[in-house]
Amino acid sequence: MRCEHFERQMWAYIEGQLPDVRAFEAHLRACPRCQRQLAAAQATYRILHALPRHRAPANLSEQVRRRIAAAPARPRFDWARMWRRVALAPALGVVVAAVWWGWQTPPHTIATDDPTEALVELHEQLEVADWSPSPTLSYFISTGYTR
Amino acid sequence: MDTLSIEARLVERAKAQDEAAFEQIMRLYADRLYNYILRMVGNATDAEDLVQETFLRAYQGLPQFDGRASLGTWLYRIATNLCIDHQRRRARRVQTVSYSEGEDEEGEPAAWDFPDQQTPNPLEAALNRELEAVVEDAIDKLSPKLKTVLLLYDVEELSYEEIARVLGIPIGTVKSRLNHARTQIQKAVAAYLDDAPLSAQARGIK
Repeated sequence: MRCEHFERQMWAYIEGQLPDVRAFEAHLRACPRCQRQLAAAQATYRILHALPRHRAPANLSEQVRRRIAAAPARPRFDWARMWRRVALAPALGVVVAAVWWGWQTPPHTIATDDPTEALVELHEQLEVADWSPSPTLSYFISTGYTR
Repeated sequence: MDTLSIEARLVERAKAQDEAAFEQIMRLYADRLYNYILRMVGNATDAEDLVQETFLRAYQGLPQFDGRASLGTWLYRIATNLCIDHQRRRARRVQTVSYSEGEDEEGEPAAWDFPDQQTPNPLEAALNRELEAVVEDAIDKLSPKLKTVLLLYDVEELSYEEIARVLGIPIGTVKSRLNHARTQIQKAVAAYLDDAPLSAQARGIK
């Protein structure tokens, strides 16, 4: 076993999830560098699992109640979703126009023979684009979280 | 009745405007969420604000909560999104406003509750405290992606599956981020153990 392989298996070994420990332990006995690495990993694991836990402030629920009372009622109208639809509308217009144009032109100029498939593909591309600059932002929107 | 069904009943009651049920949900999760958020953002003032915001959003989002995820998963997801957004805003502010070294924008030191630690001898206790500081410092330096997974798994003790649901990523990605995060911390601990005089003394007396 090489040191890199040893290091990759180190966490599984510490958590007792390594099915066969023989090669791992044989390397451990022979390699002082990996002995130091494992000692540091074991210390890391022990400290991580014993970090002091911090308690929430005693008046938390009172503060939350105050903020709930002060917050405007949740708007029934979802502006973020509406904006996405408004932004999508012209794009869908382009898709419809493209498909219509595809029907009107000779078959050899159409990317796919099936206009439905073309529509689905374009729609999927639009879905992937999601009108947001990063996957993270699109994830926030999809989980209902907006700034 | 198991924890999940107790929570499901609490959620149903809270949805029906039962204030006591929402209060109970806050009591169940306040410490866990605060501990997680405080370690994510690194200062008590922001953590307090963000944990309040988490519960406010949860309250407002309750009508849409369909119970497909567990209550805990859902709350951690709201908290994680708020923390990441907060860190982004702070990163932008730091980039555009100030680079002055040593300036403390973290505010007052937190009044943290340290449980009594029973350790066999003062030298090891001192070494543990120093290692704890090394680990805390290394956690602070992790990227938000790695820090989130490490805190949820090793500190909050969520399962791989729960973390995958909180973050909306595959389980394989959770495991790989966890390995990277732990290894970064382990390297800091290894460097410390190689150099620290306390560590040499502690090893020497064993």
